[in-house]
This record gives sequence, structure tokens and C-alpha cells, in this order.
Amino acid sequence: MRPDTWPMFLEPAIWGFLFEGLRETIYLALVYVALSFVAGLLFALGRLSRRRWLRWPSIFYIEAVRALPVLLLIVYFGIKGSALFRPIFGPDFELPRFWAGVLGLSMYTSAVLAEIIRAGIVSLPRGQTEAARALGLSHAQTMRSVILPQALRLMVPAMMAQLTTVIKDTSLVGTIGVFELLRQGRTIYTQFFNPVEVLLIVATIYFVICFALSQASRRLELGYVPKAARIKIQDIALRDQAA
Amino acid sequence: MPGGIAFEFPQLYFTGLWVTIQLSILGLLGALVIGTIVAVMRVSPIAPLRWIGAAYVEFFRNTPLVVQLFFLFLGLPLIGFRFSTDTFEHIFRAAAIGMGVYHGAYVAEVVRGGLLGVDRGQIEAARSLGLSYPQMLRYVQLPQTFRSVIPPLGNIGIALVKNTSLASTIGVTDLLFAAEIVESRTFRAEEAFSAATLLYLSQTAPLGIAVNTLERRMLVAR
Repeated sequence: MRPDTWPMFLEPAIWGFLFEGLRETIYLALVYVALSFVAGLLFALGRLSRRRWLRWPSIFYIEAVRALPVLLLIVYFGIKGSALFRPIFGPDFELPRFWAGVLGLSMYTSAVLAEIIRAGIVSLPRGQTEAARALGLSHAQTMRSVILPQALRLMVPAMMAQLTTVIKDTSLVGTIGVFELLRQGRTIYTQFFNPVEVLLIVATIYFVICFALSQASRRLELGYVPKAARIKIQDIALRDQAA
Repeated sequence: MPGGIAFEFPQLYFTGLWVTIQLSILGLLGALVIGTIVAVMRVSPIAPLRWIGAAYVEFFRNTPLVVQLFFLFLGLPLIGFRFSTDTFEHIFRAAAIGMGVYHGAYVAEVVRGGLLGVDRGQIEAARSLGLSYPQMLRYVQLPQTFRSVIPPLGNIGIALVKNTSLASTIGVTDLLFAAEIVESRTFRAEEAFSAATLLYLSQTAPLGIAVNTLERRMLVAR
């Protein structure tokens, strides 16, 4: 390593530039995780619904999206995102890069979260549903006040573990021009020709966040998760960890 | 017909597909070798080996694959290490090695789980029969993990096929790269990307079905 390339990191401006990227990364992650959670909950309920016109499209969406690379979705929305919304917002509409990235990432993550939520719902004993129905609650009431509160509580550690993937995936939207952490780092090293140093620093920042999240999820226990559900969640985590 | 555009640009799409398949196979082989070695380190009786193994797994699982790819492709040549004098060859090898080291960390966790799942009595019996530690690993512990790790390894394989698309960010001419080139030439984004989608599905869907069938069969066996 060349010795003269480290002193530039004493300059606060460099760190300010990197932290702008970090702020964008965290903001992006928060926005798209919230969106994906809502969409994922709907798809999970759709997949468990007794109505075929709800169930089949949900199954198709979840399985098709999970079989695709996230980057393909992101690049597609990066290129065509504006055109998709022009019929609604008028012919001059330009979809901001940020939201194109959010769309691509949420599409994928909602399918993953839907599977985790479904695993949680299915793992609850049947007696819960039967008792609620016997007490006269409707299907919707059973879901809302009996099944979901229990299932979601059990799924919190699994979803927190998924957050490391969520953070790592944000590094992909740099390819469509969102100025997140990695992209800011790339701008620095194309200026100063020091990719080794910059990439090590960027990797360390990602590592600190993701390591803290994965440790927190491991410490967290909110109840007994049945073995079948745990195996299912492990499979989801292995198959859907990207970037 | 969806995906018909692939036959208008067969050179791009099918070369891209071939590169994706090559990357997947090389990456998976690398991940299996690295993963098994790291897993054995993580359960070994020697403490420093265990620490190195744990550090490897935590580092590579908690940093984005793209950062690792950029480091291998841009960073290493500056420290004086190139995978090949030919630039295309260098990029391709950097991508293949990136796939191997990143997924190796996940393979290591799965194999480690399998190794720890082997009954302790088996290990003690093997040792008391006079097998050395490496012999015990080779003939007793590793063969018994093989069965239980196949379905999770299949899941990692699926992730790997999808993740090869990240190689396009460092300039490997894979399937996604082909779709991007075709889009920029024709402006037919829907067709260009749906062709790539179908070609990705043609790899991940059979793998997914195989893994699910295997899993169901093994649940019954248990």
C-alpha cells in the first residue's frame, strides 16, 4: 500500500462526503423496509386466503420475484421507472433515482418478508384459529386480533436478521445513480485513485452496522418458534440473501 | 412472444447466459471448498483457528458483495496483485473469486451446523478406535454431515445464481449485462429484460423445485 494515501482521511470534508452517503443509505433502507413490510404482509395474507383470485396471484408474485436477481429489478426500474408512471403523472414526469431504487428493492424484499410472515402464521397451532372462530370472530377479526399479533411477535428476530441483507442490498442502487455510501466512496476513489483505502473504510462502515444488527437479532428472543418454522426461515434467509 | 428478442441478439444473450453459468459453477465450487475448510476450522480444537474461521464468516457475511467485488477488481491490482494480465480475464476471475469467498461464508455456517449435529458418541468412538483427528473428520464426521447439508446448500446455490448478476457492475458480460446492452441499442426495455428474466428463471426455477422436493423427502425421512 502506498504510504502517502492515508493522510487525506484527516480531512473532515472526506468524512462528511461519506456520511452523506451513509445518511442516504439509512434513509433508503428505512423507507423501503417500511414499504416492503406492508406489501409483504398483504402478500402473505393473500397467499393464505381461501379465495383463489387472491391466492394464485400472490403465489405467482412471491415465487417469481424470489427467483429473480434484485439487481435486474433495480436496473429495470432505473431505466423504465419514469415511463411507467407517465400515464398517471403526465408526460413530463421523471421518477427520481431514489424512488426507482426503492421500487426495485421493495418489490424483492416484500416477497421475502411475505414468506417469513407466512412461516410465522403457519407455525401457530391450529387451536388458536379454531378457538377464535368458535368464539364467533370472523376470519378477518381472527387474523387481526389473534393470529397476527402472535405471529409477528415470533417473527421479529427473523426479520431483524433479514435487516442485514436489507442494508447490504442498498449498495446495489448506486448502479442506477443513487448517491448512497458505496457510490460516494466510488466518487472519492475515482478522484484520488485510492480504491484500496476507500473500499476498506466503506466495508468497515457496512460491517459495523450489519454486525450489530445480526448480533441484536441473535440476542432477541420473543417466544418459542417451532422447529419447522425455524427451518423454513433459515431456507428463506439462505436463498434470498443477496449482495 | 416474450423473450423472443433473445433470438434477435443470440450472440449477446447466449454468451451472457454461458458466462452466468460459468460464474455460477466456478463460484459454487469455490464456495464449497472455502466453506468446508472454514467450517472445519470453526469446530477444530485449536482456538486461534476457530477465531480466524469466525472472523472470516462474520466479515464476509456482513459486508456487501459489490464492495468485495470492487475490491478484488480494483483494489488488488493496486497492491500489486492481478489475476491475469488480460483485463477481461482479470475481471472474470475477480468475479468468480468474489462469488466463492462471499458464498463460502454462508456455506461455512451451514456445514458447521451439520458438523455440530453429528452425535458426540460417534466422534468419541472413532477417536477411541485410534483414528487421528483428521482421519476422524475424513471418515466419520464429514460424511455424516453430507446428507443434512444438501438442501441448505441448494438454497445457497440459488442465491449464487442470482448474485452472479452483480458481476455486471464490474463489467463482466453476463446475462444482465447483455440485457442492458440490448436495451440501450433498441430501447425495448420490456422485451430486453423479460428475455433475461426468463433465462434467469430457467436456471433458478429447476433448482428451486429440486431443493423443495429434496427438503420434503428429507422431512419425511426424519
